[in-house]
Amino acid sequence: MKQIRITIVLLVVCLLLSFEVAQSGLIFNLDIGELCVQSAQCKSNCCHRESALSLARCAHKAAETQKCSPLHLYGVYYYCPCESGLTCEVDKSIVGSITNTDFGYCKDPFDAY
Amino acid sequence: WGTSLFLLGLSAGGEVCYSRIGCFTDNVPWAGTVERPISQLPWSPDKINVRFLLFTTSNPSNFQEVNAVNPSTISASNFRTSRKTRFIIHGFVDKGEESWLMDMCKLMLKIEDVNCFCIDWSGGSRTLYTQAANNIRVVGAEVAYFIDILSSNFGYSPANVHVIGHSLGAHAAGEVGKRRKGIARITGLDPAEPYFQGTPVEVRLDPSDAAFVDAIHTDAAPIIPNVGFGMSQLVGHVDFFPNGGEEMPGCKKNALSQIVDIDGIWQGTRDFVACNHLRSYKYYSETILQPDAFVGFPTSTYSSFSSGSGFPCPSGGCPRMGHFADSYKGASGQKFFLNTGDMSSFARWRYKVTIEVVGSLNVQGFFHVSLFGPNGNTRQYQIYSGYINTGSSYTGYIDVETDVGKLNKVKFIWNNNVINPLFPTIGASSATVQYGKDGVTYRFCGSGTVREEVLQTLNPC
Repeated sequence: MKQIRITIVLLVVCLLLSFEVAQSGLIFNLDIGELCVQSAQCKSNCCHRESALSLARCAHKAAETQKCSPLHLYGVYYYCPCESGLTCEVDKSIVGSITNTDFGYCKDPFDAY
Repeated sequence: WGTSLFLLGLSAGGEVCYSRIGCFTDNVPWAGTVERPISQLPWSPDKINVRFLLFTTSNPSNFQEVNAVNPSTISASNFRTSRKTRFIIHGFVDKGEESWLMDMCKLMLKIEDVNCFCIDWSGGSRTLYTQAANNIRVVGAEVAYFIDILSSNFGYSPANVHVIGHSLGAHAAGEVGKRRKGIARITGLDPAEPYFQGTPVEVRLDPSDAAFVDAIHTDAAPIIPNVGFGMSQLVGHVDFFPNGGEEMPGCKKNALSQIVDIDGIWQGTRDFVACNHLRSYKYYSETILQPDAFVGFPTSTYSSFSSGSGFPCPSGGCPRMGHFADSYKGASGQKFFLNTGDMSSFARWRYKVTIEVVGSLNVQGFFHVSLFGPNGNTRQYQIYSGYINTGSSYTGYIDVETDVGKLNKVKFIWNNNVINPLFPTIGASSATVQYGKDGVTYRFCGSGTVREEVLQTLNPC
């Protein structure tokens, strides 16, 4: 009887812990500034790193006129993709798309020039 | 003798006297009260070893150590009586050579010609909290003695002195002001709560300690059970509560992300232990170079601030949190609220945005705006989320990360939460944007409607 009770208590604790982990964003739903390995983990949908050797953290997407990368399969960016409604205007190159270094600037495609 | 001192510590009624700075008792209100149950006498000045590390425009990167006991060290240093003097006092467990104090001095020297002293009392701060909370009395007395020497030997008026203290250091600054009347200004950066909140004014920092006292509260939640180290009590002529004063954005990160910080493991570990509490000096440091980015709005609670109370600033203007707070000439004893960013830079500019919506049909969704001015543009900020009725107008308050200047354009974008096979289009027919600091209102008009995820530009009208 006592053992069952202990098991139940342990189960509840585990449940609460896992809930806490999911809430605080340990793996998914990460806030700006939290460590990440993949953009899908971030609330902002951009996992950003300064250089190839630095750690990646969730960052805001690029605003209009800011430097950006187009969407990329790597899921980690040197410059984040643009916010919604904007396109990252960039001259794609083969080397650039392999090394994840195709950079451009966010532009509104409907802007009159 | 050690045990007798220990027993003395438990029972009130002791007294210690030191040359130069006088006697300290552990009578009420210093101990034996509900707020201060454990009595401790402050340590000796030799043990606490208060050091004055001077930075000036002549030596902005390396400090000169000066000493009031030996005033010739002051005359031999780069200290000049023609300048203002600012003292920065650290708190519990910290030290005077910690980078934030020195960086704060360096930032000040970028914009003004001051004598900037980092005060080190690590000899007295690295002990039990109750002991450190009493050691600050000696720290305050030593700084007051230093100011006395400045005025007697150099004819330097205390009206040129500004004391900045973080945590326990804020109350040390209060002690300085209590002993040496006529100090121009004291800034309390999240004054420590335990052993000070609710105590008489002679124990803690309060508005009588200087001609102008301002405080920044960043960890004002109660120590039990929230482990908030800072005071919720008002202690100054103006008290700022950035982000409500209890939970700072960027302090809720998971343990790994908090410790492995961009600024290094040491900064990360400090933030892991007391992120909210340490934000106060980070904000202050940033206000030095960003005078208009930390405008405090007068209102009674954070929730009323969030719903727009106190916005825009009254005709007399709002105080600016931090370095430039002393230019405020309004009523004292008030609370001021503002929002900051979640990481450096913390600077934010607050706007009220009202959008009038037109569209082909009512939808469930949300919309964002971005502001454009001569100095650049902002990110997209959410104004409203919910059921969007065409013909209605929606108001939101946003704190933008860029100082764009006079607005010349606004962009509107909306999104549906669900896929809608009717392909609705929504537009903003007008946008009214008001800047919080001066109340200047801009009006923009748009034509037509757009599909979701398409930017609509609104021009002045």
